[in-house]
Order: sequence, then structure tokens, then C-alpha cells
Amino acid sequence: MNADPQKKSRAIKRLLILAAVILALLAVNIAVPRRQARPLLSARTLKDLAELATVEYSVTKIVSYKNVAWYGDRKILFETAATVKAGIDLNELADQDIRLEDNKAVTVSLPQPRILLFNMKPEQMREIFNESGILRSDFSNEEKDGLLSQGEKDIRAKVATMDILQRAARNARILIESWLKKMGFTTVRVVFKEKGGRT
Amino acid sequence: MKKIFSVIQILALLVILLLIYGPLAKIGLLPSLPSLFRGGAPKIEDTPVIIQQVKNIAQMFTQTFYDEYVYDTGLIRTPLFTANKRLIFIAKGEVISGFDLSELNEKSIIRRDKSIVVKLPPARILDVVINPSGFETFIEVGEITFEESKKFHEDARRIFDRNAREKGILKNSAEQGRQMLEKFFRLLGFESVDIIIPESR
Repeated sequence: MNADPQKKSRAIKRLLILAAVILALLAVNIAVPRRQARPLLSARTLKDLAELATVEYSVTKIVSYKNVAWYGDRKILFETAATVKAGIDLNELADQDIRLEDNKAVTVSLPQPRILLFNMKPEQMREIFNESGILRSDFSNEEKDGLLSQGEKDIRAKVATMDILQRAARNARILIESWLKKMGFTTVRVVFKEKGGRT
Repeated sequence: MKKIFSVIQILALLVILLLIYGPLAKIGLLPSLPSLFRGGAPKIEDTPVIIQQVKNIAQMFTQTFYDEYVYDTGLIRTPLFTANKRLIFIAKGEVISGFDLSELNEKSIIRRDKSIVVKLPPARILDVVINPSGFETFIEVGEITFEESKKFHEDARRIFDRNAREKGILKNSAEQGRQMLEKFFRLLGFESVDIIIPESR
């Protein structure tokens, strides 16, 4: 008859201790700050350039991610676009790269073209689909940026394998030839230096 | 009664475990709870890159402005029963300025024997670049939609543009363009080179 109230009070004591532990841990949870690295900011800098962009590619890519699990799926789909400009870096142009034969003939040795600018504008991106299962967390802003960064990396890699540099070289040749002819040169020869040397 | 007590005890122990896990995750010793429900490191699927347009251009880049900016949306109050929002991110990118040489015409270049006069269009900002890899989320509270985040990113681009102008990018750009072309024309044998650049607005 006496054993039951004793057991009951012991159980209540145990629950009270657990409640106290929970309260203490709750306080620790609130007190411990989230670990955050301080953002490191470098100085704003202006830098001289001497680049001639001669071709612009506008490309699109669907960025998709799927994570399928028994406890729910996470799926997201973006439509992205990028602008890539290629051309020549005129800083690499040395004095000896312009050879005057007489007042009317000139030979210009241009550096090899390269990709000068890659731009993925936010206004050209669209989230088409976004769904997370009830037991899965929603896509955070950080995760979305991470997925779009992977898309950016992929576009950069794929554009580099396209004919953008050949087109940039062809346009640079046409452009320089036409300008020099406008200046009165009758014979204009535009060549491209080999990587690490010259043609 | 006994059963109820033991169920409460088990629940209490589970809560204790979660509360121990929380601070350890916060200080980075354990992965955060939401990350356990996200799955492994996300990897996008392999999809093609489609060329939409190829354009011949003639742009001379003469100045770049590198910038880093901490963008804080401040506390965004939401209707009752939904959590308030806040986003702080670091944006890293560059502003490119120079000249659009496709605006040059027959009248822009005047040659007289060993002297040349070139009339350039005004220097202008050609591109503001902050790519997805240039955004780093620092604090994210509440559910920020993609459209909202896009607006903040666009705003960051406007801030970059403004900062670059305040730093004098257009003035420097015009000066660098002048020096560059002067050197180029002197190499072409011109003894007198006059580069006319209207002031940028």
C-alpha cells in the first residue's frame, strides 16, 4: 500500500531532475552563439586594363538537382543564362609587334585571344521548380547559390570548348584591319603570336 | 500511470540528447540538424549549355573596379505566425568600363600625313559582374524566396556600379583609353596624336 506513493514520488523526483536538466541545456543552447567566420573584406581597387573584346556569346543552361530518399525527395530546377566575352589583351602587345614597312604597309602581331569576361546576371535566372518532402529541409539561399555556382563552373568549362576563341581571333583581325585601312594604310597584315612565341 | 511516466522519461531523454547536440552543432563539432535531412553534398546534373546568340562586338575595356560588399537586408517583418526574415551576404565582383568602339564611324578618324585625330565615344560602364560564385551567404533567417534573393543580388550590382562611379572609374577609364591609343598610334608612326573623348555623364 505504501510502496506505490513512494514509487510515484521517486518518479516525480526523476522527472523534476530531467526537467531541470532540460532547462539548463536550453539555457546553454540559447547562450552558445552560432559559429560564424568574420567576413574578410579587401580594399576596393581600380586597375588599368587594355583589352579588346570582339565577340559575345549568350548561352543558357538548366541547372537541376535531385536528391531522392525513402523519407522524401528534394528537387530543384533553375533556368540560367550567361554572357561570355572574348578578345585580346592589348597589354601583351609589345613595340616590336607593330612593324611598319613603309608609310602605307603595316604588320601587326596580336596575342592569342582569350575569354575576357564571364557574366551570369541574376535577372536572367529563374527558379522553375522547387519541392522538398515533408521530412526534408527546404533549399536554403546558401544551397541555391552553391548549386548555381556549380552551374557557373559547368558553363565556363563548356564555353571554353566552343569556337569562341576562333571567332574572337577572326573578329579581331577584321576589326584591326578595317581601322588601319581607315587610317590610310593600304597593306595591312594581322597575324597571331603562337603561345609563348610568334607566327 | 507507470507507463505514462516511462514514456515521459524517454521523451525527456530524447529532448536532452537534442539539446546536447544543438550547441555541439553550433560550434561546428557536429553537422547541423537540417543538414542531416538535406542528404549528401549536392551535385547538379549534367545538362547541356545552349548557345542562344553570337554577337560581333568591339569593346575596349580600360578599367576594372574590384569590390566586396556586405549586404544586409535588415529584419524583414512578415505577417503574424510566420518567422521574420533577414539575409546578410557578401558580394564579390567587378565593374568593367571602357569604350564601345562600334560607335566609331568614318568621321571618327581623321589622318593628315603624320598626324591623326581620333574621336572616341564617352567612356561608360560596360559590365557589372557578380557571378553566383561571388555571393557568400553569411546569415540567413526565415524563408528567403529565390525572387527575393534575386532582388537583393540585383541591388548589390547597383551598389557596385555606384561605388565604381564614386571611385572615378569613368575618368580613369577615359585617361587609360587615351594613353593606350596614343601609344598604339605612335607605334604606327604617327608623330602627332590627338584623342578626343567627351566627358562621361
